[in-house]
Amino acid sequence: MSHPAKDGRRVTDISSSAEAGGPFAWRQLVSLPQSFADRRRLFLVAMTIPAVIYVIAIGIVPLARGIWYSFFDYNLLRPARAHFVGLGNYLDLFSDPDMAEALKNTVLFTVSGVTFQLVLGLAIALALWRDDRFNRICLTLILIPVTITPLVVGLIFKGLLLADYGLVGYYLAQWGLSAPQGLLASPSTALGTLVFIDVWEWTPLMALILLAGLKALPGDVLEAAAADGATPLQRLRLVVLPLMLPSVMLALTIRTVDAFRVFDSVFVTTGGGPGNATNTLMVYAVKEGLSFFNVGKASAIANIALLCTAVIAAAFVLLIRRADKKANGR
Amino acid sequence: MTITRFVPDLARRGFLLAMLAFFLLPFLWLATTAYKPSVEIFSIPPHFGFTPTFDQFAKVFLVFDIWRLIAVSMLIAGCSAFFSLLLGVPAGYALARSRHPLAMGIAYFFMAVRMIPAVAALIPFYLMMRDIGLIGSWISVVLINCMLNSAFVSWMMFSYFRSLPPELEEAALTDGCHQFAAFWRVALPAVRSGVIASTLFCVLFSWNDFLYPMFLTKLDSKPISVALLSAYGTKDITWGTLGALAHFSTIPIVLIVLFLNRYFVQGLTRGIH
Repeated sequence: MSHPAKDGRRVTDISSSAEAGGPFAWRQLVSLPQSFADRRRLFLVAMTIPAVIYVIAIGIVPLARGIWYSFFDYNLLRPARAHFVGLGNYLDLFSDPDMAEALKNTVLFTVSGVTFQLVLGLAIALALWRDDRFNRICLTLILIPVTITPLVVGLIFKGLLLADYGLVGYYLAQWGLSAPQGLLASPSTALGTLVFIDVWEWTPLMALILLAGLKALPGDVLEAAAADGATPLQRLRLVVLPLMLPSVMLALTIRTVDAFRVFDSVFVTTGGGPGNATNTLMVYAVKEGLSFFNVGKASAIANIALLCTAVIAAAFVLLIRRADKKANGR
Repeated sequence: MTITRFVPDLARRGFLLAMLAFFLLPFLWLATTAYKPSVEIFSIPPHFGFTPTFDQFAKVFLVFDIWRLIAVSMLIAGCSAFFSLLLGVPAGYALARSRHPLAMGIAYFFMAVRMIPAVAALIPFYLMMRDIGLIGSWISVVLINCMLNSAFVSWMMFSYFRSLPPELEEAALTDGCHQFAAFWRVALPAVRSGVIASTLFCVLFSWNDFLYPMFLTKLDSKPISVALLSAYGTKDITWGTLGALAHFSTIPIVLIVLFLNRYFVQGLTRGIH
């Protein structure tokens, strides 16, 4: 299949008489580009296209259909009565107290969860900074929660926190530290407990990303700061943190976007309850769509979540660009 | 080591050990409930010690068709990993090598797909699968997993190939090597660790996913993750049974990740940048 190229990259021997009637005659038939640059371009496009088409067909088309559905009053139980309502679904959601509650819960869950993860993750990353055997083993083991599916994580904590016979929940209830029905079943503590579960599962990931940022810091700057007699805390605040700001932002982006679309752990532990206390946007959308088959409304909720995610991601990308410029500009 | 260094070091290790306990004990609790007799699981007040038994495993085999659940999970994870790599690795390579301004945009597009809330795609995808009669089949789960995974693999392999200097392939191309051969024989072996990491993440994602299979599969095509959820809430199924079930669903994947830890850590830090 290979053509010995005499003049470097320009392989132009395809039309030579030896090959014209040979196995490569089809090249003339479909008149493929002859220069190397053109064939290279064609090759690269051909390698990319299948993945692009697949992702658009299976991913983007459903999303677009979801936007389309959100303009209809469309219930699967009575599909014949579906009709166009324009922005009706969205306007309804604006005055829907359940939607307000779901949005509030999602924002609260995301902001508090990600904040705790950042603080604890930074502490762990700093403790793991030095590259010794103890730290390497610690890092390996500490990442275990990340590999466990959120479904099982939810079940673990649900079991531990059960007020009647859970290993932790029983004592919390006995000692008056939680409501008698347990942390997850009490409206005032359920959301906080979900935040705790999220912190348990994702802090290790946060720590890992921050650790990667720490290890990429220029050693000479740190040594200079130490030689100047800066205390460890000063070094952290004035040298380390500003320099690793890009990786902090990256970790925040990933965790914020993921926390905002939380579904699994909430669905398993509380299902949005008690009442509406832990209803998040995703749980609300699934309930509307696949329990009540209210496709129009569910699509509208999902699209609002999608829009929020896009705005959050875009905001962070802008901040990262600025942080990058700052960190590299000194 | 002087005393001024020794004390902070001790504090640091103490902190890390406390963190290890915090992150590992809940998981160990689930694993050990599998060996507790039901009576002791429900004992009041609850306690940690117990007399080990294998009753829970016997019950799991009685209630669940374990091997079938595992087979379906492996089928879904295997198929979606295979097709995601088939689509994603060449795309990642081509995007990394192309100098066209669009290439970067497509790469970011693949990264953005990762951020789509799964639920936003679920409802329309469900209706799409209903229209073509794939609801209730594991194939529909592979289709959607493949979409998310191939986008992720494209992005991750893009970052791996980009950090690979193109000179090696250029030399091969100059020597008359076919373009595909330059990719397959020269570039791909050089990013072996990226391919392993991608495979690991595809398998991890599909094996752990339960939202899509919960709504897209039915009784005889459900994977083990969905069985785990239905295990909870049924009356005669205790936390012990759940712990035993976790031995088949969760512990293997944790062991695989521990075994391939180097690639897991590398992929986590590289794939998301």
